[in-house]
Amino acid sequence: MARSAAPDTGASSPVVTADDVTKIYYRGSEPGRLARILGRSQPPAVRAVESVSITISNEEIVGLAGPSGSGKSTILHMLAGLKRPTSGTVLFRDTDLETLSKRERTRHRLEHIGVVFQQFHLLDSLSARANVALPLVELGIGKRQRRQRAAELLERVGLGDRITHRPGELSGGEQQRVAIARALITDPDLVIADEPTGELDTDTGRTILETFRQVAENRAVVLASHDHETLGSCDRLIQLRDGSVTDHLTQKESIDEYS
Amino acid sequence: MFSSLGNSLHRLRTAGSLTVAQFRQRKLRLSLAIIGIALAVLAITLLAGTGIGVLETGEQQFDAAERDLWVTAGETRITSAGGGGFENTLYDSRNLSTELESNEEISNAIPLAFDTVYVRSNQSGSFNTFIATGTPQGGPAVHVTDGDQIQGDPHYANGTYDGEMTNEVLIDEETARELNVSVGDSINIGGSLAAAREHEFTIVGMTPTFEQMLGTPTVTMPLSELHEVTGTTQTEPATFITITVEDGTTVEAVQRDLQETYPEYKIRTNQEQLSAILQEQVLLLAAAGVLVFLALSAGIALTLSLLSLVIHQQRQTFGALTAQGISSSFLIATVIGQGLIIGTLGGGIGVLLTPLAVTVLNHLAAVIVGFDGLVQTAPWIYVGSLGIAIVIGTVAAAIAGWKISRTPPLELLQ
Repeated sequence: MARSAAPDTGASSPVVTADDVTKIYYRGSEPGRLARILGRSQPPAVRAVESVSITISNEEIVGLAGPSGSGKSTILHMLAGLKRPTSGTVLFRDTDLETLSKRERTRHRLEHIGVVFQQFHLLDSLSARANVALPLVELGIGKRQRRQRAAELLERVGLGDRITHRPGELSGGEQQRVAIARALITDPDLVIADEPTGELDTDTGRTILETFRQVAENRAVVLASHDHETLGSCDRLIQLRDGSVTDHLTQKESIDEYS
Repeated sequence: MFSSLGNSLHRLRTAGSLTVAQFRQRKLRLSLAIIGIALAVLAITLLAGTGIGVLETGEQQFDAAERDLWVTAGETRITSAGGGGFENTLYDSRNLSTELESNEEISNAIPLAFDTVYVRSNQSGSFNTFIATGTPQGGPAVHVTDGDQIQGDPHYANGTYDGEMTNEVLIDEETARELNVSVGDSINIGGSLAAAREHEFTIVGMTPTFEQMLGTPTVTMPLSELHEVTGTTQTEPATFITITVEDGTTVEAVQRDLQETYPEYKIRTNQEQLSAILQEQVLLLAAAGVLVFLALSAGIALTLSLLSLVIHQQRQTFGALTAQGISSSFLIATVIGQGLIIGTLGGGIGVLLTPLAVTVLNHLAAVIVGFDGLVQTAPWIYVGSLGIAIVIGTVAAAIAGWKISRTPPLELLQ
């Protein structure tokens, strides 16, 4: 199916670029030198991502679409520096993530990347505000300022009256909005979200998408999803199958495809 | 530098708040972990307290005997031969005592013998073996709680054994219970069944002194009469000779002089004698040591597994926070805080429960074996046990936290 000619770069400045990245997983451990001498063969390999090149630019929401096992989550994790590619490079602005140590990559995520999970992963013991404010502790920001910024963000995602509630006292949609606020608290350049509406009903999912749309100013957002409505709301879509990019869709094309 | 320090303190305080918050949310898990550690601490304090109790009681008994030196012929060992008791290897004890008393620095030298005898009461019918203690005099060294003291040792009669036998014995509560007798009753005592049938003694009083010293039911009688009923008047064996030195004399100096004069005997102070007896109980001491080691190991293993479990259950949260950019050191500080709290609370409760458990155990020991003060504690046991709990809790948490920090966040989230 012929679509627009692979617009894999956004209009404004690129935030993150994956250049010819491949990710191979091995089932079991790789054999050591002695094991190889003794004739132990390489364990079966799975190519989760194969020679993918994409660029995510500022102020755009990019969707990763494809069936389970197509490599959506792996690409998200590589863009966030949570996984290293087997080959190829991931450039964040001008920084090659491969050159960063584990500690530096953790710090890089803190300062530049917000992560939203399907299952929220909030701390049950903390209030919504404390959950949102937690990453600021690492940046050495004082308690009063942390609380103020967390409250503002919660207000922005529509939870101004819920700041002292614990996750157990919030609905699924509200918890996801707290998770989004937490991902935004350090004012990151890139927000990645893996199935952000996967655990939510349709109406709540819509609210979450509106929230993402609101927060996309001055940053890039990458979503991985199966959900048609979620994918239809993206500025552009990257279609994946068996670890490779099969298509690029503009917003109009993605609306036609998924709405 | 101050900014960096302030930031570290700030992060530490937040890690502490997070620790407390996590615990508030998991009260049952926290309670179970604390109970586990409290029990481990209790096991340590009680086992250590038993060790101290044995030593303290031994020392108290030696002190109560009001003796300064102990003379033995070689090792002082408990034998299982003939139903148990001390080996009496110090022969000709009467003459040796007289010789020792001729030393102007020695106030008195008294032989003491422990031997296994057959005992029967009219009520019990059959013969049972007991430990008999032979002493040439009662005095303050034999504490009588009911009835009368034994009346010296007239049967000895300067080594002729022609003097009249008093046929009087003292027994303890446990012996009275086993034989179903009381003060005024008669019992048969002898080194053999035939000798026991021939010799009848009257119970004149009750004494816990030697039962507590030996930890077994005991009958106490004049030394010459013990030698008579065991057929050992020719060799006059004793377990040891106890010496009281004259006032103003240095015990160590007398010990040194005696050791030079009598190299074939061992001359020991109270403390040395207790140590010598305990050193002979290698199996007993090894068993006690193994028990303490096992209690400590079990405590460490229990703490490690409980903390690992508590922390394992938070792995997804930690994974999400690491993915968000929270550093490993912050998470490890949170986990160490949990270990510190669990260790401190568990250790504190274990220490607080110890006095109650000691009271119960001592009461049981007194009722069952008649041994008072079996478990005794000391401040260092409390402090040490609490310290162990805190250190184990903290180290175990640090290990668990370090392990989690080494795991990629996405693996924690799976």
